[in-house]
Amino acid sequence: MAENIEIKQAPEREAPRKESPEKEAEVKAKAPRIHTIEKKRSKIKIFDVVNYIVFGLLTLIIIFPIWKVICDSFNAVGVYQFKLWPTQPTIGGYATILKTAKLFRPLLNSFITTICGTLLGLVMATLGGYVLNQYEMPGRTFLSYFLLVTMIFSGGMIPEYLVMKKLGLVNNMWILVFKHGMNVYNLVLMKNFFEGIPASLYEAAKLDGCSPMQIFYKIVLPLSKAALASIGLMFAVTVWNDYSTVQIYITNRSQVNFQYMLRVMVMDGDTPTTSYKVSQSTLYYSGIVCAILPFMLAYPFLQKYFVTGVNVGAVKE
Amino acid sequence: MAKDVEEKTSSIKIQKKPLRLRIWNNRGFYLMFIPVFIFVLIMHYWPMLGVRYAFFSSKMVPGGGIKWTWVGAQHFINMFKEREFWMAFKNTLIISVVKLLLNTFVAVLISIFLNEMTSLVCKKFVQTVIYLPHFMSYAVVAAIFTLFLSPSSTGMINETLKDWGWIDKSIDFLHISSMWRPVFYIINLWKETGWGTVIFFATLSGISPELYEAAEIDGATRFQKMRYVTLPALSSTIIIVLILNLAKVLNIFEPVFVLYNNRVFDSSDVISTYVYRKTFMTAATDYGYSTAVGLFKSVVGCILMLGSNYASKKIRGRGII
Repeated sequence: MAENIEIKQAPEREAPRKESPEKEAEVKAKAPRIHTIEKKRSKIKIFDVVNYIVFGLLTLIIIFPIWKVICDSFNAVGVYQFKLWPTQPTIGGYATILKTAKLFRPLLNSFITTICGTLLGLVMATLGGYVLNQYEMPGRTFLSYFLLVTMIFSGGMIPEYLVMKKLGLVNNMWILVFKHGMNVYNLVLMKNFFEGIPASLYEAAKLDGCSPMQIFYKIVLPLSKAALASIGLMFAVTVWNDYSTVQIYITNRSQVNFQYMLRVMVMDGDTPTTSYKVSQSTLYYSGIVCAILPFMLAYPFLQKYFVTGVNVGAVKE
Repeated sequence: MAKDVEEKTSSIKIQKKPLRLRIWNNRGFYLMFIPVFIFVLIMHYWPMLGVRYAFFSSKMVPGGGIKWTWVGAQHFINMFKEREFWMAFKNTLIISVVKLLLNTFVAVLISIFLNEMTSLVCKKFVQTVIYLPHFMSYAVVAAIFTLFLSPSSTGMINETLKDWGWIDKSIDFLHISSMWRPVFYIINLWKETGWGTVIFFATLSGISPELYEAAEIDGATRFQKMRYVTLPALSSTIIIVLILNLAKVLNIFEPVFVLYNNRVFDSSDVISTYVYRKTFMTAATDYGYSTAVGLFKSVVGCILMLGSNYASKKIRGRGII
């Protein structure tokens, strides 16, 4: 049965391959003796080659814009050239960003808010996730519904804006920290992770005389390093990359983050300095590189953590 | 979620202590939850009270205050009469749904074919690369593509096309209404498709190799294995991804906001950007009207969310929330 299908399909599958008739005859002659898989291996190749080429192109499509941006950020030539390396190398773009207070301040704001937002987010997600995992605690169901409602319904952009205004967070960069500090989705991820810690560990610790707090500090947290890393990264990416919050809440240029500054500079052509020694596009590309640099540097090393966060939540059955 | 709560509590009932004692024993946990509780109350529940403004009209009082006057359902009547609102509503649905279907379709294709790649190193490399754009913000991606698509002499794409003789004059891709949506879809494909494959890979890694072996023994070809083993294994995940994202179709804001401009409103304006414009970019802002539009969006979003939760429970026996 298997043989039949093999032979019947062979001509069509092999059609695009130009091979000498002797070789083909040889393969066919060998076929009955050699295991089927052996024969298939030679046939599959064309599929593999096409597959590798297609994915090679795909990675090129992804990498090319990024590479072009990096390359042009070091290139002093303002006019477009189809070159894959800088023809007139310069670091003027970066120097301008670091020297211009109106560009450096947003960069600094981005770092401050990202660090604080990540810390706050982690504290909240860990506390909430751990408490929601206490199945003996009265009122636990109520608390989980209390959080759940916020995932389903929200007040909307304007009521939120009015509340933030009352709290004095409008025109204040700390809005970035507080807005992302409490993320119910990440809290649930954390809870799911805690659920995976074997109950026997808790019991053993309890027998050894640990209080619930001690269990939390001495057992749960050290075991959760990987989860903390991946959820922390999720928070960091969210805060660092947030542009719309700044767009809605902040108009004061000393409080904006770098994403906003970049957008204003590139899209609205509102460059905050005129003293740049390089061409305008070099400055823009340097800005883009600064905006992606932290995660591009961390990404190859921390990729595991970048990806596990999603898997914990999405595929857990 | 609720189901396993019940199961766990029922098994505990046997050794139930008095409620007061149990509360006292868990006092540490309540203490731990207080910051979360306060935070959620202020950041999420307080704004919910604000939806009442949908029935008021606001007027700026000199000195920084806002004066609210009751107008009943007037805002909703106005909203449904407004042509711009319906245009935004239509655009939201079209843009979100096409983007969702396109991204999911390509992500599935990529996962199936990448799964066939034999070299683990290559596979890992491709995965690493295609996840990359996800970690760039929409502001950055918009900046990159605005510069690339620019009609000036620095715009890479226009200059290249001119070099190749495909076009004579630069095309201003992002400022032409009929071009905007396709360009938007392509940019989103570039940014998010790779990341969309993560969930499919997780499913694929769970397929038992025995299935492939069995198919091989039955004489299945490579394509037959992909069609009859890989694809069915992915089908439930595909449905879940679609359902999950369908619940959020109305929320689209940032991807559109960073790329649109006033010359392409008719094909790009979505509900959130409409609310934003009505609030922050008009001279006489009526917070009441914007709240009403936002409330409409939240209610429809809520219904979609509960609907997808129900569908998810039906299909895989587990809700999404």
